[in-house]
Amino acid sequence: MCGLCGLLGIVHWTETSAHAEAFTGDRRRTIRAERAHRSAVINAALRPYRMTVSDFQATNYILSSATGKREIVDDIQAVWAAVDRMRGDPVDPLAGDWLDALGPDNSGSRP
Amino acid sequence: MIPVNVITGFLGSGKTTLLRDILARPEFSDTAVIVNEFGEVGLDHVLLEEVEEGVLLLDSGCLCCTIRTDLQETLKSLDEKAARGDIPRFSRVVVETTGLADPAPIVSTIAAEPVIRNHFRIGNIVCTVDALAGLSTLANQPEASKQVSVADRLLITKCDLAAPETIARLEAGLHRLNPVAEIRRSEGHDFDAPFLFREELGDAERRAGEVARWLAKADALGHHHIADADTNTFVLRYADPIDWTAFGVWLTMLLHCHGERVLRVKGILNVRESTSPVVVHGVQHVVHPPMHLAHWPDADRSSRIIFITRGIEEGAIRTSLTRFLATLTPQANDAVA
Repeated sequence: MCGLCGLLGIVHWTETSAHAEAFTGDRRRTIRAERAHRSAVINAALRPYRMTVSDFQATNYILSSATGKREIVDDIQAVWAAVDRMRGDPVDPLAGDWLDALGPDNSGSRP
Repeated sequence: MIPVNVITGFLGSGKTTLLRDILARPEFSDTAVIVNEFGEVGLDHVLLEEVEEGVLLLDSGCLCCTIRTDLQETLKSLDEKAARGDIPRFSRVVVETTGLADPAPIVSTIAAEPVIRNHFRIGNIVCTVDALAGLSTLANQPEASKQVSVADRLLITKCDLAAPETIARLEAGLHRLNPVAEIRRSEGHDFDAPFLFREELGDAERRAGEVARWLAKADALGHHHIADADTNTFVLRYADPIDWTAFGVWLTMLLHCHGERVLRVKGILNVRESTSPVVVHGVQHVVHPPMHLAHWPDADRSSRIIFITRGIEEGAIRTSLTRFLATLTPQANDAVA
């Protein structure tokens, strides 16, 4: 990332800290807590593929595969693109086998 | 933030007539206009810029994420000239697309470039549809139905030339393609320009009105979804507050994999991270920054998310989001109805 991009900041729509005006009250997580929570949710989504994401200095995410491949990315959108590159296939949230791998269906939803 | 409106619509559907009409009005006098060809508009508008469509494919490779490099340069150039005082300051930009153009790359162009994103925001996408030729165009030209599906406002033009029953059939067809967009009729003059261009989400004072219109449309959809060939429109409702972070993870994952087929997402969310409702909306891969709404528009406190998809069934989206939220952020995130 060049210095200018760093100054301007890459703001993703999912980040509550970057859109504080949209999230009122005191329920908003701190930046680090939000990123830790996001990493945990992403990791649950990636568990079927034995990949993990960790926060890096509250600025980037590091994606790691089971074989030791690693990639540093800017935001959550870039995480999915990196997973796609690393696996050679995107994560498909509509795929039944991926949903089954998340865990037991407690939602009461019908396919 | 300067709003950028897009006027789209198939060849000969009256885009230029609409543009010419609004540019002649005093309230649109400080509008910068970006067109593909000079001359068509027929105005010596001081802020008229011409671009030739040139596209740059992003790494993701998806066609709807192409970045209009020409448009990027033109927007930046307009901004710089206004800052230097070379041209008058402007408060709105209108981009008139060619008849065959997909409006989605214009949205991604503004969202993708940090400098542009800090100065401009996407306003209403207005789509013109010819009352006479509209139905056959929609049936035969996939570009035309895409333009309709991503629009915020649909303007049926040449209504003075078409029989009332033809217009009614066209309205029904438009409603199947995009039940959330407001439809207006016109006869080549006296366009309802404030409604088409100014009643929009980006304007904090008018946001509540626009959201109320969505919700009225969502209520009208009821428990049914509307389908036209392979275009589906449906509403997901969640009674309990949603975990915003999990929703963001799910939606970004969905859009990375299926963004080309998720034409629009619009919603008002009751999220755990906020005491007031949060408004989201997006076009294909691009989701706009979440917006604050001071009050719920009605007594219903459930999250309501409207999807317009192409080739993706309601059940697939509903099952995926509901199970994802219930599994990863347990506390009863079951979709209702």
